[in-house]
Amino acid sequence: MSDFAEWARRATEPSTAAGKPEALKGIRVVEFCPGHFGGMVAASMLAEFGADVIKVEPPGGDPLRLVAPEEIRVAGTGLPFLSEARNRRFVTLAAGDPAGSGVLRRLVLASDVIITTEPPDRMEAMGCGYLSLRKEHPGVVYLYLSTYGSFGPDAGRNVRDSDLLCQALSGGPYIVGEPEREGAPPLPHEAPTRLGNWHGWFVQGLWGAYGVLAAIHFRAETGKGQVVDMAGAEALMMFADYNITWMHTGGKARERVGNFDPAVFPYTYIRCRDGYTFIAAYNDEAFDSLMHIIGRPELTRDPRFSTPKNRVTLENERALLALLEEWSGNLTADEILAAVEEYTSKQGGPGAAVVTGRVNRPLETLAEENWRERGCFLRTEDPVYGELLLAAPPWKMSGTPARWKSGCREPGSDNRDVYLGILGMTEEEYRGLAEAGTF
Amino acid sequence: MPSDPPGPGGFRAFASLAFDPAAIGGKPEALAGIRVLEVATRIFGPATADYLGVFGAEVIKVELPFRGDLMRYVAPEGFFWKDVSPAFLALNRNKLHVGLDLHPAEGKELFLRLAERSDVVVENLRAGTMDEWGVGYLQLRERNPRIVYAANSGFGQWGPFSAGRASYDATAQAVSGFSAITGFPDQPPLKAGFWVGDYTAALMSATAILAALAARRKTGEGQMIDLSQAEAMIRTLDWTWPYAGLTGKDRARNGNVDPSFPPSGIYRCRDGFVAVSARDEDELIPLAHALGATDPEESRIAAPALLEAFCASRTVDEVVRGAEDGGFSAAPVRGGKHHYRDPHLRARGTVCPVDDPLYGRVDEYGPAPKLSESPGRVKWSAKPVGWHNEWVFGGLLEMTAMEMKALERKKVIGKWADVPGARPPKGSTAA
Repeated sequence: MSDFAEWARRATEPSTAAGKPEALKGIRVVEFCPGHFGGMVAASMLAEFGADVIKVEPPGGDPLRLVAPEEIRVAGTGLPFLSEARNRRFVTLAAGDPAGSGVLRRLVLASDVIITTEPPDRMEAMGCGYLSLRKEHPGVVYLYLSTYGSFGPDAGRNVRDSDLLCQALSGGPYIVGEPEREGAPPLPHEAPTRLGNWHGWFVQGLWGAYGVLAAIHFRAETGKGQVVDMAGAEALMMFADYNITWMHTGGKARERVGNFDPAVFPYTYIRCRDGYTFIAAYNDEAFDSLMHIIGRPELTRDPRFSTPKNRVTLENERALLALLEEWSGNLTADEILAAVEEYTSKQGGPGAAVVTGRVNRPLETLAEENWRERGCFLRTEDPVYGELLLAAPPWKMSGTPARWKSGCREPGSDNRDVYLGILGMTEEEYRGLAEAGTF
Repeated sequence: MPSDPPGPGGFRAFASLAFDPAAIGGKPEALAGIRVLEVATRIFGPATADYLGVFGAEVIKVELPFRGDLMRYVAPEGFFWKDVSPAFLALNRNKLHVGLDLHPAEGKELFLRLAERSDVVVENLRAGTMDEWGVGYLQLRERNPRIVYAANSGFGQWGPFSAGRASYDATAQAVSGFSAITGFPDQPPLKAGFWVGDYTAALMSATAILAALAARRKTGEGQMIDLSQAEAMIRTLDWTWPYAGLTGKDRARNGNVDPSFPPSGIYRCRDGFVAVSARDEDELIPLAHALGATDPEESRIAAPALLEAFCASRTVDEVVRGAEDGGFSAAPVRGGKHHYRDPHLRARGTVCPVDDPLYGRVDEYGPAPKLSESPGRVKWSAKPVGWHNEWVFGGLLEMTAMEMKALERKKVIGKWADVPGARPPKGSTAA
């Protein structure tokens, strides 16, 4: 290992994070997003950096706890909720009741940020709308997550936000999946294809957290709070490459091309002896390297492949894929990686840009030493929720590392701590509200 | 601010004023005063800096003189417009472009002087490269302990895969398990057709940079952020990991039906595709009703096969209207060509025209989160290699024209090569 790698390891190893300061310590966040995963992600991103997040669930628990693919539940809670329920306090509140909405308002007024997925008119009716909050708390940062956003002609559309709606509108699935063949009825998979995880919801939450941090930065300079309006449709949209610039400059729209790519090739998955692996070598120098690696250096002079432009016609991409798979079919993904590394380690600059990596099934990812050594996964233990395997915060930071501190707790676990400790309720008030069903 | 409009609908009225795209130019920027140095190629690093620049940071993009960032030559179907690739434009808004070679000693010194005057460095070279060159985090912090240094890479700055291994978006899609759970069960794993493994990680990097700047406000100290794009993608895979932990099994590819909310999914209509979504009984029962259930409590009838037949005989618009009237949710599957003409996205500034001094009008995706007081914005488009050399070296570093000429002769600094992708449009005054 180089001296720098040694230093980087010592400075950022997740196991050393616990004693270090946290970037967002002192920022309090109220998460009021019933049934909504994007809201959980937004809160988790802030919580991993040290914000004090309080998740408000309806009495009995958040509806997202009930969502359970393959009916797998732990102590009544499904895996999607458990995967994001981290680093926060869990309170229950009948926020729709007058007493409950009063408590919610007090909680937000004692906080820096509110994240909500509830429509503005409902929040207003509860006395927790932005305009009313900011009168008392001009520094409040108010993140509203929805499908279409809070303004614009479609803002009033009657939908309940979901990952699927965010994905469908984003332009993502439109360019994921196999195109239809001509002259044959389409097969089920010849369709715009959703990303298998909740990537639409995840990125909605991630952009929301980013917007909140930009707003907090601005508040530190000016003292002013603001609204962050985050439309889930527009989250993955930012990742849809050059959709708009190509439409504008060339009048061309991106369409589905399966595992091919209209701008770079080779840049695809190739079949190998033990599954599939990714191979890329699209600039001329890298393409030359790859043709040497596969033992076909003459192909760099083949008119179909001799320029980047010729390599990206679909017909030529198909022909090149077939040639690549003639080579890769007898090799394992690891052998391909070794061959690429052996050749490119002797190259410098653009000729070394031959890139590969096995298309891992999740269990294959889990078995790779790199991620284990870098602490990418956690095994947590909890008396209620048992042993869980979770993804760790992805950032390694030398000064104020992000970290995992606590996992899921039962609904209302932190009621006393929050309502007495933060809101300063008396025992009598607390008991009265609990007995009235407000918590 | 105007006084709050009274009564219900108050927020909607407020929002249409507070977020008016026409008013953005007169408002302050959230990250004004933050200077970012970008030493990056292609997407992961450039997108990170783009996200900061769109919210007001000043981004200085450092490219190798002449050819610059190799992303300049990534062009859909080989298409260049006014000698720039539309794929490069989308990643490099609001930046100052300098051509500076970090290999010669004088280039390193110039970079260190820039770093002294900067808040953030974003790089995405192979792990350890900047350190080998003498301009890595350990060297920069000697000159500027306040620097926040984002080291973006494929596999991290340390660990078995870190040494020498390059990575692209689809490396992260592949090795993380993301592609294995995307697509249809009877088909091969599917690569997303957009560079999602770069952008997702870029946004995570930009998010960590803002967190590190918040920390610096308290401590006065910068730090290094080590982010692997594969690890960023691993973090997004929701219940994949607890499922693997509890069952010892791989989560299956589930095609277009969301296994958490069946029969929610993407379905084929007569004239396109629609996403139908029902999160719970409140939506499943109306959906079942639309599918022909007679018992109003019967939600189990809402099976994928029935919904598939329902959509197949209708237009996208009929399904969307049926959902909105009926009490479940639906939205059309949209692509870039729809976005370009969408009045809603135009009204929100999510698709926005940029009036660029070099290229004229360029339409772009605008910022995603809308901030009412300090909104993001696209101020100008990407520029040729070295376009802002005088601005940055002359203005910020106060170099004389003679000093710059001398460094140009030694090829320490430089401008564009005379090739499409690097150079200004033909006929422009600079070309």
